[in-house]
Amino acid sequence: MTRPISRRAALAGLGLAAASAGCLGRTENIAGRDPRSQLTLEINTTPADGDPNGIRIARQLEEHLTAVGIDVRLNTVGQTDLWRKVLVNQNFDLYVGQFVETEPFDSDALYGLTHSQFVAEPGWQNPFGITEMAVDDLLERQRRTAGNDRSDAVDALQETVCDLQPFSVVAFPDALTAVQGARFEGWTQDRQPVSVTGLLGLDAVPDADSAGDGGSGGGDTTADDDNATSSATAGGADGEGGATLRLVTTDDRITENWNPIAAEYRKYGTFTGLLYDPLVRTDGESTVPWLAADWERPGANTVDVALRDARWHDGEPVTASDVAFTYRFLRDTSLGGVETAVPTPRFRGRSSLVEDERVLDDATVRLTVPDVNETVAARALRVPILPEHVWSERTDPATIGGFEFDFETTQAVVTNNPEPVGSGPLRFVEATAGESVVFERNPDHFLVRPAPDADSETSGGTTDPRAGIPPRYHGKPAFDRLRIEVLPSDISAVESVAEGLADATVSNLGPQSVPRIGRSDDARLVSGRSAAFYHVGYNVRRSPLSNPRFRAVIARLIDKSAVVDEAFEGYAQAAASPLAASPDAVPDSLAWTDGTDPVHPFFDDEGSLDVEAARAALRDIGYRFDSEGRLLSRAQ
Amino acid sequence: MSPFLSVLSSVVAWVGAMLAAASVAVIGPARLRETWDGLRGRIWDARRAVALVCVVLLASAVGRPALLDVSRLFGIQATALIYGLEGGFVAWVQATFASPALTAYFSRVYVYGYAFLVAFPAIAYLALPRTADLRRLLVAYALNYGIGLVLYTLVFAHGPRNVMPDMVTPLLFTNQPDVILLASEVNQNSNVFPSLHTSLSVTVGTFAVLTRDEYPLWTAVAVPLSLSVVIATMYLGIHWLTDVVAGFALAFGCVVLAYRLVEPRDAAAEASDAGEGRRSGSEPAAED
Repeated sequence: MTRPISRRAALAGLGLAAASAGCLGRTENIAGRDPRSQLTLEINTTPADGDPNGIRIARQLEEHLTAVGIDVRLNTVGQTDLWRKVLVNQNFDLYVGQFVETEPFDSDALYGLTHSQFVAEPGWQNPFGITEMAVDDLLERQRRTAGNDRSDAVDALQETVCDLQPFSVVAFPDALTAVQGARFEGWTQDRQPVSVTGLLGLDAVPDADSAGDGGSGGGDTTADDDNATSSATAGGADGEGGATLRLVTTDDRITENWNPIAAEYRKYGTFTGLLYDPLVRTDGESTVPWLAADWERPGANTVDVALRDARWHDGEPVTASDVAFTYRFLRDTSLGGVETAVPTPRFRGRSSLVEDERVLDDATVRLTVPDVNETVAARALRVPILPEHVWSERTDPATIGGFEFDFETTQAVVTNNPEPVGSGPLRFVEATAGESVVFERNPDHFLVRPAPDADSETSGGTTDPRAGIPPRYHGKPAFDRLRIEVLPSDISAVESVAEGLADATVSNLGPQSVPRIGRSDDARLVSGRSAAFYHVGYNVRRSPLSNPRFRAVIARLIDKSAVVDEAFEGYAQAAASPLAASPDAVPDSLAWTDGTDPVHPFFDDEGSLDVEAARAALRDIGYRFDSEGRLLSRAQ
Repeated sequence: MSPFLSVLSSVVAWVGAMLAAASVAVIGPARLRETWDGLRGRIWDARRAVALVCVVLLASAVGRPALLDVSRLFGIQATALIYGLEGGFVAWVQATFASPALTAYFSRVYVYGYAFLVAFPAIAYLALPRTADLRRLLVAYALNYGIGLVLYTLVFAHGPRNVMPDMVTPLLFTNQPDVILLASEVNQNSNVFPSLHTSLSVTVGTFAVLTRDEYPLWTAVAVPLSLSVVIATMYLGIHWLTDVVAGFALAFGCVVLAYRLVEPRDAAAEASDAGEGRRSGSEPAAED
């Protein structure tokens, strides 16, 4: 700011002198112009300790942006702070991060991500701030239509989103996980191993006696400072197969926050997904009734959901009114208590499908889901069901020390949700913030409830409380306790598994940690493909990122193949479309072939950036450079 | 034994052995015996400085988590600034000099050498008949820690290994993964500005130069060792050059302040009684 002002002041002096000479007009015409300055962009991402991969993408982009004459600020912040900055405050230029779903997802996931109706809302709904009617129309169309019409809409949607680049898909990572095979088996090979279904699908190794002894001995020594009591109870209280599944992570958020709707504290929501049951779950390519015993569509606009017999972790029964409450609450967490609705920062795309809800009886609820196809209707049922008696207390505006500020948020959104009360197969036991958290099996869950002696149960029709659930989840989880310990880096996490002190890693591993897995006999690498694609997100609200042509040039500065080869060392798949992990979703026009991006190919000059080509592309769309090659823009 | 305890006991054992050897070599058996007799009087004489160090260390241990939150939310986000300022200097250091032998040397210096470097002067100056140097040293330690804590809170930044993992290898942690457990126990990866490893080492080195008449041998050991620690912070990819420069400034500032604050009162209080109890000085373990 100081330079232009002082310059103008100098010119004003000149002007005064010039005025006497009678040429004020010309000087004014010059002095009245603001000079242009170099464009500055800030890239936000997490440090290598938090995620070894994202920073690598950010570094490459930083180098390439700098090369074309942009002043880049590469900023590293913690995971919570990154999402707070991007999702809550929307105060960013670019960020590098991962999408939130690890299982291949339906195209309707893009609804929450890119629909303009969410532009003013904080959270995972439209964090980019893109407002395009063409996108909105296609998003609506893929909700309404079915069959080929829907495929066409989804193809067109992907092409439009790719053209507009509100975010640049970089690569779909392999979910690298170091696992210890001695105590649990059945780690999924084709998908993310540490996921809700992955963890529930685990089996205890049959001869776990000897292995279990060795294992729990190891568990004792790792944690002898704070966990002597808990491992004692794990071994003592419920003795049958009573093993503890020990996971290690670098992400400490699960040790301090268990709020399923807190966007900045959730990565994929795996553990809150085990605390809170949804009505239905996806299992591979099928949709499985979960808290819902069954659902049907009596009319085109309604879905009737019949609930299983279930209880909250505090003993209260799960009722239809809890389900109705959940949808009402996700729409507006203040339940009308605040002037403008405060919608949930997660699950917004899904929950927006349900327009009304009516309790038919204690165990049946009718949801109004207007005019959508089967796939999308089922998607509406995939939100965590929350207990009304807990969350209805949290609808007041958020306060600090009793004072109300204009945060436009509710206690529900900002609470850490201590002592979470869900209905899921795991329940909370204890946690030490920043260090560890312990969950235990919910003995009252329908997965572990014995089938035959159901005399006391009132649900007359269904005899088996697990009807409709694939047999491999019956009697699960296979562990009595789940303990997650926080370690400082991916390398120490892998070491911990290799030494038999933990059963699996949760957080992302960098390829550098992979060779360490091989040093131990029982430890091995499991790598399933994750749908949680790495992407560069743009704040479309800000100039010049508001210009789709400018974003397209930035997209062409990302050498996705090099990222996959060098940063991920091949443990990833480059892609152009966000749906690249979803089966048969990507049209030929967006398929990744021959190592180049089909829409926004890298400015490649034999493996490195073709700076001149990139600058020419920027000039072509109206940008200018100064004599030192700096990209100019209006100071903001 | 858990990895954390095993690395901790290894550090304690090695540093203890080095302290014992250095005490004999640098201070000499005769003076050590003398020190033993006058121990209680000297500690009593330096009680305020000792208390100050204890208070600062305690405040650091208790207040750090809260201050870290404050730093995350309200601190100056300086990573981009520092990186923009010096770019790939640390990467250049690694690319130019890194070799397995140097990595082994600097890893040991960073953990064991540093702990020894910070602990030994407390013993050495305790062995001097006058406590002025001891008091100055302790006051300088306390100032380093105190000011360092304030700066940690004001400035939120990650180190080079976290920002340029493609160019800067976290050598310490890839070669001695156990050590990261110890390091993360006493430090956060967002506390890099200034480098307290640098400032405390340089403080010790400066004192060693100032007291070269008393302990010429120690000066010859401490100066190269402290410079090794300084280089190690960058060589291992933990600190930026900016952190190191700030560490130097902090060290010199603290030494000057310590000399201003601590008057070398005359032999009045130097008289000593026979005393019991051993004190090995303040002993922060691996610490940035």
